[in-house]
Amino acid sequence: MTASFIRSDDFAAFVTAIIEAGPVYGPVAKRSRFAFARLETPEELRLDYDVSILPPKKLFFPPAQDLLQFDEAGFRAPLEPTEKVLLGVHFYDVKAIDQTDLLFSERNYDINYMAHRETTTIVAANIQTVSSRAFFASVGADVQPKGHDAFLTAIAGGYVLETLTERGGALLKFGAFQPATDAQLKEAAAVNAAVLEQCPEKLEHGTEAIAAKVRAAFKNEAMWTAMAADCFSCGTCNTVCPTCYCFDVHDTWNVDQTSGQRTRYWDGCLTEDFAKCSLGEGACENFREERATRFRHRMMRKATYLNEKLGGPACVGCGRCSAGCTADIADPVRIINQIMAS
Amino acid sequence: MSKPKVAFFDFTCCEGCQIEFTNYGDAAFLELINHVDVVEFREAMSEKTTEPIDIAFVEGSFSREADRARLESIRERAAIVIAYGQCSAGGGINALKNHQTDYRQYVYGEDAEQPHLDSQKAQPISAAIKVDYSAYGCPVNKYEVLQIVFHLLHGKEPVIPNYPVCVECKRRETVCRFDEGDHCMGMVARAGCTAPCPAYGVPCEACRGFVDHPNVPALEKVLVERAGFSQKRAAEKALMFTAIDLEATS
Repeated sequence: MTASFIRSDDFAAFVTAIIEAGPVYGPVAKRSRFAFARLETPEELRLDYDVSILPPKKLFFPPAQDLLQFDEAGFRAPLEPTEKVLLGVHFYDVKAIDQTDLLFSERNYDINYMAHRETTTIVAANIQTVSSRAFFASVGADVQPKGHDAFLTAIAGGYVLETLTERGGALLKFGAFQPATDAQLKEAAAVNAAVLEQCPEKLEHGTEAIAAKVRAAFKNEAMWTAMAADCFSCGTCNTVCPTCYCFDVHDTWNVDQTSGQRTRYWDGCLTEDFAKCSLGEGACENFREERATRFRHRMMRKATYLNEKLGGPACVGCGRCSAGCTADIADPVRIINQIMAS
Repeated sequence: MSKPKVAFFDFTCCEGCQIEFTNYGDAAFLELINHVDVVEFREAMSEKTTEPIDIAFVEGSFSREADRARLESIRERAAIVIAYGQCSAGGGINALKNHQTDYRQYVYGEDAEQPHLDSQKAQPISAAIKVDYSAYGCPVNKYEVLQIVFHLLHGKEPVIPNYPVCVECKRRETVCRFDEGDHCMGMVARAGCTAPCPAYGVPCEACRGFVDHPNVPALEKVLVERAGFSQKRAAEKALMFTAIDLEATS
C-alpha cells in the first residue's frame, strides 16, 4: 500500500493516460443526473457527482447480458472480458460491489459476473456532493469498504491516491505522482470523515437491533399493507439498488429459426410476476401475489435475511431507491425508523 | 412442422400496426416468409382466404356489433388468435370516445347522423372472442411481434412483460421524467417497448396499456402531487390508450 499525491494541474493528463491505455469508466453528467459511462476525455469525468442513476455494478452484471449464443453447430459463450478501470466509485458502492462479489462467487461461481469483475481495477473516490436521500453514514456503519484497488481523495491543490493492491499501484506510472505527505494524508482522512456528518437521512439504531425488530414485524400485515398502499410494483427500488442481484433468463431466436441467444435480465422482487412459478402442465402460482408481501420481502432482504452471510445489512445507504420511487414510499430510513418506533 | 398459415385482419384501427409488419427491411422480411406462409394481408397482397389459419393477427378495436360475426368467423378458423396492436388488445386510442358524448358531431359535423358512423363503445376484441395472446402498443413493437411468432414456431409460450415501463427506463439508465419536473405514466404502463419515449425526453403515455394490476389511485396521487396535475386531468390521463375498466383492475 502506498499513498501518493498528484496536483490538480496534472490530473487531466493522468486521466488521459489511463484512457489511452484501455477502457476507463467513470461518472459523467446525464441530463440532470449522473451515470457511469466509458470516458472519452478527462473533461467528462464528474468526480463531483452526487450519485449515479444505476450503480457501477452494471459493468460486471449488465442489465441485459447474453450468456450464450447457439446455432445448429452448438453453442458458445460470448463472454469477452477486457481489462478496464472503474474510476470514481463512492465508498457505499464499493461496499455494495464487495457484497455482489461474494454473492456471485460463493457456491455457484458466476463466470459471467466474475470475469468482468476480475478484469476491473476499481478506483474509489471521496464523496464531494452528498445526494438528497443519502444515509450511508448510519447503515452498516461497522462494515468497512473493501475490494477496491485504490482510493482517490480530493484535497486542496490536488488528489491523494492511496493504492491498496498491485493493480492499484500499477496506475501510478500514468501520472505525475509523488509521495503524499503526512499532512496531505491527514487532510484526506479529514475529508472522508467530514462527509459522514453530511447525510440528510439517518438510521437511529444499529444493524442488529434493526434486523431483530424488522424480522419481528413480519406478521404485522396491517403495517405492511399501509406502507405499500401507494406501491406501483414498478421495481425501481430493485432496479437501481447496488446490492440487488436477481435476474431472469430468456431465450430468443434469430429470424433463421436455428440460431439465437440466451440472455439474462435484471429482475426485481417488487414486480408482480417475480414470484410466479410453474406448477407444470400450464399451471402456475404466485407466492407473493400482494403488493404488501412484495414490499415486505424487500425490507426483509435488505435488513435481515442476508446479514449473517454478508456480515452486515444488504443496504449501503446510497438513497437511490428513496429518490427513484415516484410515490416516495421506498425509503429504507423512513420504513425502518417507523418500525423501530412502533 | 409445415409452414404455419398466417393471416391479418383489421377492424376499427389505422392499420399502422400491420404496416409495422412490413417495416422489418427486405432481408428480415424475406427470411421470415421462409418460415410462415402469409395467406391474407391486405397491406401487401390481394389474395384472401376462407381456409383454416394457424395464426390470425387481428388489428383494431371491436366497436360495432356488426363486426361480431366476422370476428367469430376468424376465431372459428384460427388455431391461434393474436390481438395485434393496442386497439385490439386494449381498446386503444379509439376508446377515448367511450368517455365522450359529442364526438360524432365534433368529428363529422353535418354528416354526423349517417348510419355507417353508428358505433358502440370501443372495446378490445376480447370483448367478442377468445384471444390467445396480445401484442400491445400503439404501434406494436415489431421486434416483440417477431419473438411472439418465433416462440409459437418453436411451440413455446410467448413472453409478454407484466412489469411496468419503469423497469425498462432504469435498465437503460434514463433520467426519470419526474426528476426533470415532468409527468409520466411509466409506473403503470406495460413494458415491452424498451422505453424509447422517456429516453428521448418524452413522458410515457402508456400506449401499451397497463400492467395487469395497475395502482391507479397511486398514479393519480403522484400526477397531482409531483407533476402538479389537477385531480380531473390526473384521472383522465389514465384513459388515453385503454378501454379497460380501471375500477375492476386496481
